Amino acid sequence: MDIGLAARTTRAWPWISTVARLGLAAVWLIAGGLKVGDLAASGRAVNAYQIFPYEVAKVIGAAQPFLEIALGLLLLVGFAVRLSAFISAALLVIFIAGIVWAWSQGLQIDCGCFSKGGELGAGVDPAYGWDIARDVGFLLLAGVLLWRPRTRYSIDGILMGDDQ
Amino acid sequence: MSKNGKDRAQAKRIVQQQLAKERRRAVTLWTSVGVVAVLLIAGMIGWGVAAGQESDNSGKLSVPASAVDEGTAFARGSGPVTIDIYEDFMCPACHSFEDAAGPTLTQLVDAGKVTVRYHPIAILDRYSTTEYSTRSAGAAAAAAQGGKFFEYHEVLFANQPPEGGPGLDNAKLIELGRSVGLTDASFADAVNGRTYTAWATKVTDTASSRGVTGTPTVRVAGKTLDNPTPEALSAAVGAAGA
Repeated sequence: MDIGLAARTTRAWPWISTVARLGLAAVWLIAGGLKVGDLAASGRAVNAYQIFPYEVAKVIGAAQPFLEIALGLLLLVGFAVRLSAFISAALLVIFIAGIVWAWSQGLQIDCGCFSKGGELGAGVDPAYGWDIARDVGFLLLAGVLLWRPRTRYSIDGILMGDDQ
Repeated sequence: MSKNGKDRAQAKRIVQQQLAKERRRAVTLWTSVGVVAVLLIAGMIGWGVAAGQESDNSGKLSVPASAVDEGTAFARGSGPVTIDIYEDFMCPACHSFEDAAGPTLTQLVDAGKVTVRYHPIAILDRYSTTEYSTRSAGAAAAAAQGGKFFEYHEVLFANQPPEGGPGLDNAKLIELGRSVGLTDASFADAVNGRTYTAWATKVTDTASSRGVTGTPTVRVAGKTLDNPTPEALSAAVGAAGA
């Protein structure tokens, strides 16, 4: 009655994916929650990248925290996990591109990833390398979910009729 | 007969598999539609909330009478070359800039070469627990209304609180005002009543729209100085023709 390694891995995947799903949900909820209290500052953080005109940056800065929280909630309850993971990955790629851009332009900014961000004071070095490494880590979580979107305790599972 | 039963069981299984597949397809489709709708609505809520805050702010706006440059700055001197200084009273680099370049600025103003426009913006509210950036910018506007902007600006930097703390409380802001001659009750009322909070937001917003992303930002005749030392300042004013 030996269960093969392959079979055991197959059984473990929904649990691994569940951890990834809840982790990614926490990332979005925290990132959005820290920004939602001051939308004007969030707009200035987007403006600090000097990519968009200020009027556009303001709209992005206002919408982004709400989008992040919504995505976090979708992942938390496990609703359309593969699509939510895909959108998460797309956003993370955009964020990483933004940080690389700021780095390449020599801008002295806080990435605004987990804060209202914006400009840095004199003598404070931007931590672009760490910011990118962290976002790549989050991208891995999204990758796990894209590959194996079936998770435990999810609305998807209930709708699909999986054993919970 | 046994064969027949097996066939039927197999047919039943195939039908069930197809039904399950159909169900998964429908669930995937409709949950995807749901996700797109949720995200669109969330984005629109953000946009709506921000627009609401902005119009709320413009409703409360009161602009000090002496403000120049679309009501977002206070001028010192009346020379031909304009120097725009965007500062946050919470910003230590601005304090250093004022210490280093203050005498040069005074000299240029006294010689009638420049008009200095001070823009007190509030981008560092997160560095104090009491939104000191906004409160101090508002207090500076109240000082301008009382005719003492520059004097008050000087004492605010001289008494700059450390980052991460509570900043200066309103009583201290009023006391500093008194020390430069702002003894009128209207100054204290404006500080306590946060009369110029909306104005500070507008100044900050205007600066952002002009590409100011950090403090201090110093522009001589519209050109940003990368490193605003007193020497760079004098040189830029000379180059601008004064």
